[in-house]
Amino acid sequence: MTVTPEVGTGAAEGRVGPARRALRFLLADRVALLCVLLVVMLVWLRVLSAGGYLTANYDAAYLASTMDQFVPLGLLGLAQFAVMVSGRGGIDLSVGAMVSLTGMAFGFMVGDGGWPLWVSLIAAVACGAVLGAVNGFLVAYLRFPALIATLATYYGYSSLALLTNSHAPISTPPVQNLIALTQPVDLPGNIGIPLQVFTFLLPCAVLMWLLVNRGTYGRKLYAIGTNEIAARFATIDVASVRFRAYLISGVLSGVTAVVTVAQFASARPDAGTTGNGMALPSITIAALGGVAIAGGVGRVGGVLVAALLVVWLNAGILLAFEGNAGSQYQLAALGILLVVSALLNEFMVRGRPRRRRRPR
Amino acid sequence: MTVLPVPARRRARRVTSRAVEGQELVLAGVIAVLWLVLGLVTSTFFTASNLQNILFTMSGVAIIGVGMTAVIVTAGIDVSVGSSFAVVAVIIGRAVRDAGLGPVPAVLGALAVGAALGLVNGILVAYGRIHPIIVTFGTMNLFRFVAYQIFAGQQVDGVPPAFAFLGGGAPGRTLGVPNAFLLAAVLAALAWFAMRYVPTGRHLYAIGGDAVAARLAGIRVSRRLLGVYALTGLVVGLAACVTIGGSGTVQQNFGTGLELEVIAAVVIGGTSILGGRGTVLGTVLGALLVATVTSAVTLLDWSSDLTQLFIGVFIVIAVGVDLVRERRRRNL
Repeated sequence: MTVTPEVGTGAAEGRVGPARRALRFLLADRVALLCVLLVVMLVWLRVLSAGGYLTANYDAAYLASTMDQFVPLGLLGLAQFAVMVSGRGGIDLSVGAMVSLTGMAFGFMVGDGGWPLWVSLIAAVACGAVLGAVNGFLVAYLRFPALIATLATYYGYSSLALLTNSHAPISTPPVQNLIALTQPVDLPGNIGIPLQVFTFLLPCAVLMWLLVNRGTYGRKLYAIGTNEIAARFATIDVASVRFRAYLISGVLSGVTAVVTVAQFASARPDAGTTGNGMALPSITIAALGGVAIAGGVGRVGGVLVAALLVVWLNAGILLAFEGNAGSQYQLAALGILLVVSALLNEFMVRGRPRRRRRPR
Repeated sequence: MTVLPVPARRRARRVTSRAVEGQELVLAGVIAVLWLVLGLVTSTFFTASNLQNILFTMSGVAIIGVGMTAVIVTAGIDVSVGSSFAVVAVIIGRAVRDAGLGPVPAVLGALAVGAALGLVNGILVAYGRIHPIIVTFGTMNLFRFVAYQIFAGQQVDGVPPAFAFLGGGAPGRTLGVPNAFLLAAVLAALAWFAMRYVPTGRHLYAIGGDAVAARLAGIRVSRRLLGVYALTGLVVGLAACVTIGGSGTVQQNFGTGLELEVIAAVVIGGTSILGGRGTVLGTVLGALLVATVTSAVTLLDWSSDLTQLFIGVFIVIAVGVDLVRERRRRNL
């Protein structure tokens, strides 16, 4: 594959206008593009709100209150980020089912077993890790295609979750008290940001960022996603690195499970699989955040901004349409967003001929 | 003294693949054993009504499976079939009930709507060059939204029995065999033949094996990809007619989870998700296995959640076996 220089770099033709340079920068840097889109969307919805087209005020207080959606979506988006970057068509369809099953386990520990919160938390995360390890084992060591392996575990985990308590949720008083974990933190200006943003999402996001950008694991993860054979020749233990990516997905699903149980004050066996499930939104957020499904490309910051964009867009849609129609339009928005972001990813790949198009 | 090499003819591999792959024989064997065991353990398994029920329930999945097999053979996937199923069902259900459409125009209408939806997928995959899973995840959502809009909040009740000849009841059977199953069998036989002996069908395997090499060898990859997704849409339309024939109501959650059932059937039937291998016969057997498991769980009075668990286990076993075979074949 010949290396062709980027068309129209400033060095070759010194007269690229600032507008074109800005556009190229935006298309190249996904985080910048998402920030611009976020601002545009906020402004547009704010204008609609001021004009009275929405059923309630689209203001800072409302936005802050909707951030309870941001935590599970952000965490699961990071989970997909890890497995998608690991390459070989990495994807995790079972995140929702892992959330359900781990949630039930957490519910049993806190609700029936009366375990202290910290112990249950660590145990729940460990449970998520085990579930993720099964995926990792199938994909990394047995070389199962990720789609099939996680499809199978999705079936398995979701039915196990339903079986554990015979379809019934766990809502005993200790579980109901967990809602204290998700109370809003009151900031000046009537803004109440849910506590779990600071106690769960922020630490996990920072840890992920450090892991991926400052540790050797991150380098290896991008390496196996970009070119598995070259990575192997560079003495990287490809299977181990990929296994750990699925492990991370399981761990993050476990954390999401704890947050979800606390948020609803009840451990529901269909928490992660109800409606459209959690897998589709998390994949959408990862794709929107610039993570390529072929692997090797993606940034933590992109995923987080994408999650915020989706959450606030959903919030706006809920205000724009009455009743049930809102959730239906959210569905369409998610679908369109996914296709458009994939097209965008594709356009980026073609615009920068650095990545060769691998035949699948 | 020269050592004569073994004559090339004796060492040559078969040029065409065997009519029935080993995996399909094993699958048929597993189904046979399962039926035997269930017949012995329960008194209700081998009743005509139960067997007819099994054959009828597997027909919808098998029909869509024909298209899905072709898609997966090209190393693609289509998770939007459940949603397109809902769209076709609500449109045709309304048309038959309100506009009094007869069976033949209704079936044609279903095929047309389904094909149109499939074309959307096909265009995005073939010409937009986006990964099929991303495209079909997106269209899954979009189509579901469209279906909800057409439903306008109410399920479609009281659909007249225009499709009863395809349904699960007495008018839907010929000599005791559900027509839907016969339809699925004929469709599967045609597809099997096309994918084996017609060049266009064989091209699909080439595309799945190596799309770039296929294109360089002169295969019209984009056109074939467009075709398989449109075909999948077509068969979804057909399956919608079968299901409406079975019940007089079209509910708003029609088709949820259908895509996973179909993919499970295809994968259990021995089609490799990486593309390049697989047959429709395997898919039909896979659909039969899934329907058998569902029936067994009900008859044995186990929790219906176990069905999904078993399906997950079967998927792992089928793919595992496929992987082992593939590795052994490569090592030769």
